[in-house]
Amino acid sequence: MAKENLVKIAQLSCGSEYSGIQKEIETAAAMVDAEIIFPEITIDDVKAVEERFGLQVASPDLKLMMARAQALVDGKTNADAVLIATCFRCAEAALVRNEMRRYIHENSKFPVISYSFTERTTAGTLLTRLEALTTTARRRSLLAREHQEGLTAGIDSGSTTTKAVIMQDDKVVGTGWVPTVKVMESATEALNNAMKEAGITRDAIQALGVTGYGRFLIGDEFKADLIQEEITVNSKGAVYLAGHQKGQATVIDIGGMDNKAISVQDGIPGMFTMGGICAGASGRFLEMTSKRLGVDITELGALAIKGMQEHVEMNSYCIVFGIQSLVNSLAKGSVPEDVAAAACYSVVEQVFEQQLQEVEVKEPLIMVGGSSLIEGVPKAMHDLLKIDVTVPPHSQYIGAVGAALLASGFINK
Amino acid sequence: MSDDDDIISKMIVLHSTFTLPSDLVIKIYESKADVTVKETCFGLIVEGRRSEVNRIASEIRNLDPNRIFIKERGVPPGSSNRCRASQGGGAKPGFHQHEIEFALLPYVTEALDEIEKGEMPEIKDVTPPHLTIEKFKDIIEKEVKESE
Amino acid sequence: MVKVFIYPSNSLILSDLVDRFGHEPLAMMQEIGKKIRTAGLDSPPINITPEDPKLGLKYAAVEVPAGVRGRMSLLGPLLEEAEAGIIVREPDISFGCMGCARTNELINFLVRAKKVPLLEMDYPKTEDEAKAFVHKIREFLDGLSGAQSGKGDE
Repeated sequence: MAKENLVKIAQLSCGSEYSGIQKEIETAAAMVDAEIIFPEITIDDVKAVEERFGLQVASPDLKLMMARAQALVDGKTNADAVLIATCFRCAEAALVRNEMRRYIHENSKFPVISYSFTERTTAGTLLTRLEALTTTARRRSLLAREHQEGLTAGIDSGSTTTKAVIMQDDKVVGTGWVPTVKVMESATEALNNAMKEAGITRDAIQALGVTGYGRFLIGDEFKADLIQEEITVNSKGAVYLAGHQKGQATVIDIGGMDNKAISVQDGIPGMFTMGGICAGASGRFLEMTSKRLGVDITELGALAIKGMQEHVEMNSYCIVFGIQSLVNSLAKGSVPEDVAAAACYSVVEQVFEQQLQEVEVKEPLIMVGGSSLIEGVPKAMHDLLKIDVTVPPHSQYIGAVGAALLASGFINK
Repeated sequence: MSDDDDIISKMIVLHSTFTLPSDLVIKIYESKADVTVKETCFGLIVEGRRSEVNRIASEIRNLDPNRIFIKERGVPPGSSNRCRASQGGGAKPGFHQHEIEFALLPYVTEALDEIEKGEMPEIKDVTPPHLTIEKFKDIIEKEVKESE
Repeated sequence: MVKVFIYPSNSLILSDLVDRFGHEPLAMMQEIGKKIRTAGLDSPPINITPEDPKLGLKYAAVEVPAGVRGRMSLLGPLLEEAEAGIIVREPDISFGCMGCARTNELINFLVRAKKVPLLEMDYPKTEDEAKAFVHKIREFLDGLSGAQSGKGDE
C-alpha cells in the first residue's frame, strides 16, 4: 500500500502492557501508517476526574484512562483518532471503556474504536479495526461522497462468498456472486459475471474498489484504486442503498465468519464491534440449519417467517450443540418452520448479547449482507429490539456497492 | 536473590534545600565509580553493576541521610520505551506515582529526624470505628423527634 | 536481613525505609528491570510478552483478565520469597505496576495468607499520621531481625 499521512491515535487503555500485547497494538498501528500516543495529563486531572464524571472505580489505571479521555475532549492533545482498550473479562474496565467511548463520541469529533483484549490478541486481529479508524480520520472527504459517478466496479472478497458489482451513475448494472474457493480465481469469476451482466469489458471500468478478507491480494493483482476494510465500506454502502446518508443509523452485517455492528453518523462509522469468536453466531449456522432441514439457504427465510421460535427449545448457541437442539426438536415433532425461526432467532440473539450491548442502537437499523436476505433474520432482530429493521436492495452486495461508490472518487486521479 | 553483576538502575530522590542533584553527580564522578548517571527533576538515576550501584547509593545517602530517598527503578535511564518524547507527551504511569510520593517526603524527613534524635511520639490510632447500626438508629430517632 | 514484600510494590517511601532500616525490599521495579534487560525479548515497553499472562495462571485462573495474570507473573515469584510484609491500606493513587485493583486485592490476600510477620496500616491522612507511619514502619522493621516467623502486629 502507498505510504499515507501519519495518523496519531490516542491510546486510552488499562492492562495492555501487562497482557504483553502493547507491541501488537503498536505494530498494527504502524501497518496503517499510524502512531500511538498517550495524552498528557497531570495528577490533579486524575484526582478530579472521578468527581467530574461521577464514575468511581477502584483501579488507578482506569482513573488515568478517564483523565486522558478528558484531556482529549478538552482539546489538550494533538490526536486524530482514539483507541480504547482494556482487558477482556474485566467488568470494571468494561464500564469505563463503554462510558469513555460514549463520552468521546458525544463530545468530540474523534473517531473512536474500542476493544477488549486477551494475551492472544495479535496485530492481525487489530489491523482491520485500526484500518477503519485511520480511514475515518484520514479520508473524511472521500467518505463524504454521496453519489456514484461514472462506471466503476467493486469487489468484496469475503470469507464465504465473493461478490462483485458494476455501477454506473448511481445504478447497479451488473452483479456477480460466487462461493470463495481460491481468492483470486473467485474474484475474477465474480467480476467477469458482473461485467457480462453489465455488457462491458475491463477497459470500460474507470475505477475499482476492493474490500473483504482478500482485499490486499486482489487489490494488488487488479491494481485497485481503493483497497478498504469492510467496516468503512459497509457503513457507506448501507446508508447509500438505504437512502439514509445523513444522520444516525446502525448497520448490522452477520457475515460468514464474523459479524459487524456499526453505529454510523452521516455515513461515517463511529463506534463499532466486530465479533468473530463463535460460528454459532454467524451465517454458517444458518447454512447448516438449512442443510439439516433439506432446504436451500434462500428458502430458509421464508420458512422462518411462518414459524414460531418459542416452540423450539434451544439449549445452546454453539454451532455443534445448537444444531443438535434443532435436530432433537425435529425428532420430537417440531415443524421445520419453527426450527428455521429458532435458528434465525438464536443467531440474532447472540449478536444482540455479544455485540449490540457495546454499540448504541440508533434507528434506522439497516441489516446488510447475505444473511439479511433470510427474512427470518431481520424479523428476529425486529422482535428482539422492537424497532423497524431495513434491508436495502442489493443488500447482499453491500461491500461491493460501497467499494464501487467510494472508488468513483478516484476517477481522473 | 540478586547477582552482584546484574545491571540495575536506582533512582535517587532528593528532597533537600541545601543539596542539589549536581552536587550528587560531582560526588559520583569523584568516586570514579563505573556507573552511568542521569540528572532528573527529582534527583538522579544511577545505572551499573548491582554491587557498584548499591555502594554509590549508600555513599550518596550518607551526604544527607534524611533527605535523600532511594529505590530501584525498572526502566534504564534514557530508555525510549515509555518516554515522554516518544509517546506524544504523556508520562509513564510511574511518573505520577512518583509525584504523589514526593509530596509526602517532608513528613518522612521529619520523622527520620525525630528517630535520629531518639524522639518517639505517641502513636495513636485516630480512625474512629464505624457507628453501630443500633447507635445510628438511636441518633436518627432522636433527630426526627427533635425536628417534630 | 529479612526480605520484606511491600505494597504498593512500586513505592519509593516503603522501598527506601525497608532498605534504610537494614532489610531487603521486594519490589516490582526489580522484576521489571530484569524483564527490560532480558536479551532477546522484544515486547516494549516493559517486555512482558503474551507468555507471561500464561505463567500467571499459577496464581489466578484463566477467567481472570490477562492484565492481572501478567502482573501476577511478576509479583508472584516475589511473594514466594517474602519473609515479611508491609501493606498500606487504601494508598493514594498508584499507577502502572499497581494500577489494577483486582491484582492488588489478590496480592494483598496472598501476603496475608503467607502468615509471615506483617504490618498493615492505613495510608496517612494528616501530617501527624504521616510521621507516625514512618515510626510504625521502623518499629516493625527493627523487630524483624530476631523473629522471622509467626504473625506480625496489626
